[in-house]
Amino acid sequence: MTAEDPADLVRAAQGGDTLAMHELLDRLAPYVARICGPIALASGADAAQETLVAVFTGLRGLREPATLYGWVRAIAVREAVRAARRDTRATPMAPGDLAALPAREDPELAADVWDVLARLHPEQRAVLVLRDLEDLDEQTAAALLNLPAGTVKSRLHRARRSFRRAWDR
Amino acid sequence: MTGSWPVADLDAIARLRVLAAGVRGATVVERTIAAPGDVVWGTMADLEGGFGRFQPDMRHVVVESIDGDHIVALARSRFGMRARLRGVLRPGWCWLQSRFLLIGMAAVADGAGTRVALTGGLRVPGRAAVVPVGTRRELERALDRLSAEFPPPPFPPSPFPPSV
Repeated sequence: MTAEDPADLVRAAQGGDTLAMHELLDRLAPYVARICGPIALASGADAAQETLVAVFTGLRGLREPATLYGWVRAIAVREAVRAARRDTRATPMAPGDLAALPAREDPELAADVWDVLARLHPEQRAVLVLRDLEDLDEQTAAALLNLPAGTVKSRLHRARRSFRRAWDR
Repeated sequence: MTGSWPVADLDAIARLRVLAAGVRGATVVERTIAAPGDVVWGTMADLEGGFGRFQPDMRHVVVESIDGDHIVALARSRFGMRARLRGVLRPGWCWLQSRFLLIGMAAVADGAGTRVALTGGLRVPGRAAVVPVGTRRELERALDRLSAEFPPPPFPPSPFPPSV
């Protein structure tokens, strides 16, 4: 079963095979952990559990099994942002402001990812994760987060310049 | 990018809640047992021994084959029904299904004790569903019996004579 295509596993799970569900969980749990961890930080495990509960509860309704990972990604981002907002331990830097995102190659981001992430708002962390870990372009990431797509790219470019200037100072 | 991004791993009990969420009628019961994880899991994962002592309906289980963490076992209930269980057995984790049965078990260390969780029951044949009637009661009974396998240590005798 381990070599099965995820879409085949989805169909088997939708047909009632709980071992196919088990195999899907084995595959999806690390993927969800990678998305929820950087966005939800201290509430990452809660967000990952809520994501996967939503996934397995809703699996029967997934009409296009080939879209599994995109569907799971959207749920994971939504749950992670929601968990991060709930989490009073988070200390947002500038709510809703995407102009603080570090560049992909920024040395500070590489040096202490957790510390940099903790200074960002949940939506900013989500954009960062979708861009740097999921390799989505910024407009796709913004659309997934219901942010204004037209302004995100230019704001990110400005953010990268300002972030780098601050770092070089 | 470095490999130091935070990762939100699920423990075995969270995984059990997740899988149970996808099974109609399934419920998860949890309890903390005052014994170390390896000892408690040693009993739970001993399908041919300890497992049958705490699962109320299991009279006899024989492991037919093991391939990595995949396992096939033949179980016989106290009412004589047989089930060929297939699934996965790992440290702290077990998920087995037959046509008519579903069994899920998880255990994680919790301080000096062990947090355990059970789910499953009579499976609606071929479906990701269990018959919900009486399921929680049966799972609680299983946890009662499992807990009884690990009685708390008796209080040491008092150095003082009983008062009169």
